Amino acid sequence: MLERNDNSPGAETMLDSCDEQSVVLSTYGLTKDFGKLRAVDNLNLSVCRGDVFGFLGPNGAGKTTTIRLIFGLIYPTAGYAQVLDHRVPNDRQEALRHIGGFVDDPIFYKNMSARRNLRMLGRMNGEVSEERISEVLDAVGLSERGESKVGGYSHGMRQRLGIALALIHNPELVILDEPTSGLDPQGMKDVRELIRDLGRRGITVFLSSHLLHEVELVCNRAAIMRQGRVVVQGPVSELHPTTNAVKVLTADQSKARETLQRLFGLSGVRDDEDYLIVEAGDEGQVPELVRRLVADEIDVLAVVPALEQGLEDMFLELTAAEETEATS
Amino acid sequence: MSHLSREMTKILFQKRTYFGWAGLFLIPFLLTAALRLSREGPPGPEQGGPEFFSFISSSGLYVPVASLFALVGFLLPLLAAMAGSQTIAGEAESGTLRTVLMQPVRRGSLLLAKWFTANVYVAIGLIILAIGSVIAGGAVYGLKPILLLSGQQAGVGETIWLTFLAYIFVLFGMAAVVSLAVTFSTLTNSGLTAVAGALVLVIIMVILGSISVFDFMHPYLFTTHFTSWINIFRDPVEWGPIRDALINFTIWTAGMTGIAWFVFRRKDILS
Repeated sequence: MLERNDNSPGAETMLDSCDEQSVVLSTYGLTKDFGKLRAVDNLNLSVCRGDVFGFLGPNGAGKTTTIRLIFGLIYPTAGYAQVLDHRVPNDRQEALRHIGGFVDDPIFYKNMSARRNLRMLGRMNGEVSEERISEVLDAVGLSERGESKVGGYSHGMRQRLGIALALIHNPELVILDEPTSGLDPQGMKDVRELIRDLGRRGITVFLSSHLLHEVELVCNRAAIMRQGRVVVQGPVSELHPTTNAVKVLTADQSKARETLQRLFGLSGVRDDEDYLIVEAGDEGQVPELVRRLVADEIDVLAVVPALEQGLEDMFLELTAAEETEATS
Repeated sequence: MSHLSREMTKILFQKRTYFGWAGLFLIPFLLTAALRLSREGPPGPEQGGPEFFSFISSSGLYVPVASLFALVGFLLPLLAAMAGSQTIAGEAESGTLRTVLMQPVRRGSLLLAKWFTANVYVAIGLIILAIGSVIAGGAVYGLKPILLLSGQQAGVGETIWLTFLAYIFVLFGMAAVVSLAVTFSTLTNSGLTAVAGALVLVIIMVILGSISVFDFMHPYLFTTHFTSWINIFRDPVEWGPIRDALINFTIWTAGMTGIAWFVFRRKDILS
């Protein structure tokens, strides 16, 4: 369920839906200052076992800083992260035994092959067999390039290798920072399928992304971050605003806008590229919408549900709320 | 895979490692050729050269000593500074430090492994320098007994032993430079800045060491002691300056590595 977040007026947060035993990753008052800049502000998150958890936010929201804090790469100003029973930064080494992943672009030793990189870095967390290396290379579609030097890899191939390293020890928690960035459409599809597969296998995935559509496709729970704070977290299905918005395409959009604004009010109609987005209120109003357009002799070309607007609308709404707060 | 073997693997996969070692192998040949072809002959004490330079044409075993003397002032500290600076800053610059620290490793032990590996790199460089020097000197002048600075003659075996001790001594001196560079390496994300920082400090020490007003500081500067190994080539050996130098090197090495360890343990990895 969703509820207002006391720390952030105008935003909402989700009550934890998993019991204490099934929390894999949590943060408690996690705060990070860089000089006068507060990059992460009293962050309280919880990710349950088996979640594919989307971590959304605009650039500069503090997503990557949060992930660095979870990995113990940087030290918090206040608060801490907890991976299973291990606190970061105090028990960082034990916590990292249960995590795989990467932050920013995955970086490897360019003058070594992918296989040697995986062997060398993987063995920092215990023994890794050559068979396991082959398995993870195969899982990310790099088995044929395993012996090639990483210096010759494209950005997308390095992303895949980053995922391979993340998986090499079958971690309980996989943290991926923008894993599809730089991938071609097929690569994106493959990586998303891989993430979904991890979720199906019960591996908890913490996925940072600025692609709302991606989070909707892949994740079951998500949090939206803004200016260092989580403003909403909960099941992705509940993050959709309860709306019956429809997209309307007619032969005369300006005349249609006037007609629909008379019916739904000025704020009920807005432009979205070639379409008009209409907040229909309830499903029963859609036939009435069409009747009015036809009565005004406007040819209706298409009326479709604006489903893809859901999370994006909420995201933009929350961001706009922040801007309004800042102005006032 | 231990930190040490992983760090060694990394330096063995870098081309610059071999450039550094190849340079150290070639320098004795260049030095020997220059001395052999010079019309004025090798520079003696009156020309500002060390005493044993005057005798170099009498035995090829002087060449390892002459090479050490020629390089200990700048090139070997440069090599040590480069090795030390790559430990943290070099990896931070390339971004691989982040990848490494996302694995369950202790930062302190990782730093010490990197420090040790940098010293191993310098040690291998010194071995290569010694081998190159013996080959070059032996080929041009032959391997004959040498005259010690105190006037007695030392046989081939004894000379090799004394030269070995001199190289070990210089390795201790370079460990202080490595430690200084490692400290700078923890303070910046640029390998070049770390090298420059360490070298500037070494150069400042050399300048302070050459100004009499700062005489009171000389015993505390590690650069002052870089050539104290010459006392090994006396009979009896003058242990006093050697002991002072080793104490100085140890304090600098431990102090600088301690600072690096302290900084690195709490360093935010933002690269």
